[in-house]
Amino acid sequence: MNDTVAELLFYLTAAVYAAASLLFLRFLARGKGDVGVLGPRLIGVGAALHAMHIVVASLVLRVCPVEGIHFPMSVAAMAMSVAYVLARKRLKVDVAGAFIAPLALTSLLASRFVGGGAEPGARIKSAILPFHVTTNLFGVALFTLASSAATLYLIQEHLLKKKRIDGVFRRLPPLDVLDRAEHRFLLAGFPLLTIGIITGTVWARRVEMGAPGEVLRAVFGYVTWLVIAAVLFLRAAAGWRGRRAAYGTIAGFGFAVVVLMLYLLRSPVPNTVTAALSAAPSGETLHLVLP
Amino acid sequence: MTLPVVVIGLSHKTAPVEVRERFASGSDLLPGILARLTARAELEEAMFLSTCNRVEVIGLPYLSGTSEEAARLASHAIRETLRDHIGASHVEELRHYLYERTGEDAVRHVFRVAASLDSMVLGEPQILGQVKDAYDAAVATGALRSHLSRCVSRAFSVAKRVRTETQLGAGTVSISSVAVDLAKRIFGDLSDRTVLLVGAGEMAEAAAKSLGQQAKAIRVCNRSFERAANLAAHFNATAAPIEQLEAELVMSDVVVASTSSKSFVITRDLVKRVMKQRKGRTLFFVDIAVPRNVDPSIHTHVDNAYVYDVDDLQSEVAENMKSRQAEVVAAEKIVDAELREWLRWARALNVNPTIVALRAKTKGVLVAELERSLGTRLKHLGEADRAALTQMIESATNKLLHAPTTRLKQAAGASDGNDLVRAAQHLFDLPAATPGSSDPTLRAAVPAAETSSAKLAPAPADESEERVPH
Repeated sequence: MNDTVAELLFYLTAAVYAAASLLFLRFLARGKGDVGVLGPRLIGVGAALHAMHIVVASLVLRVCPVEGIHFPMSVAAMAMSVAYVLARKRLKVDVAGAFIAPLALTSLLASRFVGGGAEPGARIKSAILPFHVTTNLFGVALFTLASSAATLYLIQEHLLKKKRIDGVFRRLPPLDVLDRAEHRFLLAGFPLLTIGIITGTVWARRVEMGAPGEVLRAVFGYVTWLVIAAVLFLRAAAGWRGRRAAYGTIAGFGFAVVVLMLYLLRSPVPNTVTAALSAAPSGETLHLVLP
Repeated sequence: MTLPVVVIGLSHKTAPVEVRERFASGSDLLPGILARLTARAELEEAMFLSTCNRVEVIGLPYLSGTSEEAARLASHAIRETLRDHIGASHVEELRHYLYERTGEDAVRHVFRVAASLDSMVLGEPQILGQVKDAYDAAVATGALRSHLSRCVSRAFSVAKRVRTETQLGAGTVSISSVAVDLAKRIFGDLSDRTVLLVGAGEMAEAAAKSLGQQAKAIRVCNRSFERAANLAAHFNATAAPIEQLEAELVMSDVVVASTSSKSFVITRDLVKRVMKQRKGRTLFFVDIAVPRNVDPSIHTHVDNAYVYDVDDLQSEVAENMKSRQAEVVAAEKIVDAELREWLRWARALNVNPTIVALRAKTKGVLVAELERSLGTRLKHLGEADRAALTQMIESATNKLLHAPTTRLKQAAGASDGNDLVRAAQHLFDLPAATPGSSDPTLRAAVPAAETSSAKLAPAPADESEERVPH
């Protein structure tokens, strides 16, 4: 019974995210529809369904949502949607839903259909790990929002410099609003990422890192932190705003995505969530820095 | 062709701002340009209009041959004057940017310009004041004297009708309000932003009005500190001398430049220095001056700095135009109606000399015959009888010519009226008269009531003043 409910919630969530994605894309492409009200609400409904799905699925499967790679991905997508719904009104970035909805949908589907099984080198379980994974998840969710705002900023800035101030330019949020939103999302995500890095480093001292994938994940994790730190520092100290900050944010997010990809693509792809999650209790975890 | 009025110029529709600014002239240069225009033998009357979005010469040719030939010569004279005005080497240099209207089209154009139907921002009120200023300057220098003056005066009436009988001017977006809208698209809310007005003229005042209730603070920087202080006092703003421009730029977010300077007031080097001090905070320049005040290379070469001039705001204005099409149709109908009235009046100018000449000839013949008889067979008549005979000739002339005069006047309003005029001239051996000619006999042939209206009061201070008797 719970299986069926979990399945139903999964597909409902996907359908709502898909509807929100179409709504936002239609608005951006043709200027049609009222995304100011319906779009964020759809993402909100999607986030609620998503949370219910995670709860039900974790009860069914009896796994912690922050263990394994698939559930954490799904949780990150849900956290991103929730953060968007909470922040969009205050930061006036409703249209960022055009990125958030498709990303949430992609992450949801990826958590189900993409990714590796048990990590061969998963050797040690630790109390630090759930904490490490949780902070990284929320950090990544906020960086996704920051990079969405940065991407929108670059589009707006390009249109403004090219003096094409009709059409899409009118539908996107104001330039400075996007810059400010990007900065705030980064500021909010950076402490979480820092905690993730510290906890990951502490955990890494307990295990032996040898496989190239492990080393790469660690390297890209540290690079992510350094890039984000540099963007924030240069903004405060040297006035790196606007385009430069946007490029830096997107680069930092890109490195975080690389870390995720290294997790997802490391071993054979299971077909079902059950198969994926069956590997999780053996010690598979999502951590940006750790091998 | 009736009166072969010629309009040659360039506007936001035909030339970019970097071309228009070469032609733009302040009020200080107007007398010189008008003197050069009226010195041309090909031009009877002329007016020079220079605004942010258009520069044009309205001329009435000196009629020596056919109207078409006169218009062609006048056109060449105007083009040469414009060429000299900007120091171009050849008239051909201007060909791509200049438009030309003649005759009826020219008059329609003048009416549409005054009624703000040809403006970048449809229905904007400033253009009428600018046309009036140009009119006053031309009258003051003697460049406008008669028929062309009447044409421009009529344009004021057209503009007044359009303003009062349509909603074209209601809720119009001015260039300033368009700029404010764009600033909001960059900054979002302006309530925590500082706006700097560089210049303290009319455009700066309009910008201050648009921004007044939205910006956190308004600052005014002007070469004349006194004018800056006056403007600032009206809008609860802060005035600063031009020497403090760099410091003012550092603390501002939106800069509206509208000085009459002939060179860039805000240069790229200046903005680079400013952006360092601002730590990269966005700076938005709206350059509504022509010639431009802000170096356009700032837009492409300085990060987080954006420069928009009047031409760049056109797409915003296009949105304004879409929503005003119904009003435009109504306004165009008024222009058409006024144009028909004008043409009727102008065609009458063709008939009047012929009517007067016919009367003069008829009366002359009769008076001559009477004089001869009074000198011979009727020399015994007393003063009273002679006066009665003179009165009889006057009455006979009136009765004899009543029907031809009526027919000619009726024909004046028709497109083939000239045929009847030519027939009358041929039958009675009258001179071929043209209304724009400088021939004093023909000038005298035009009834005083037809021309006196245009001689010549200054432009009314507001539209409530009527200047054209109908």
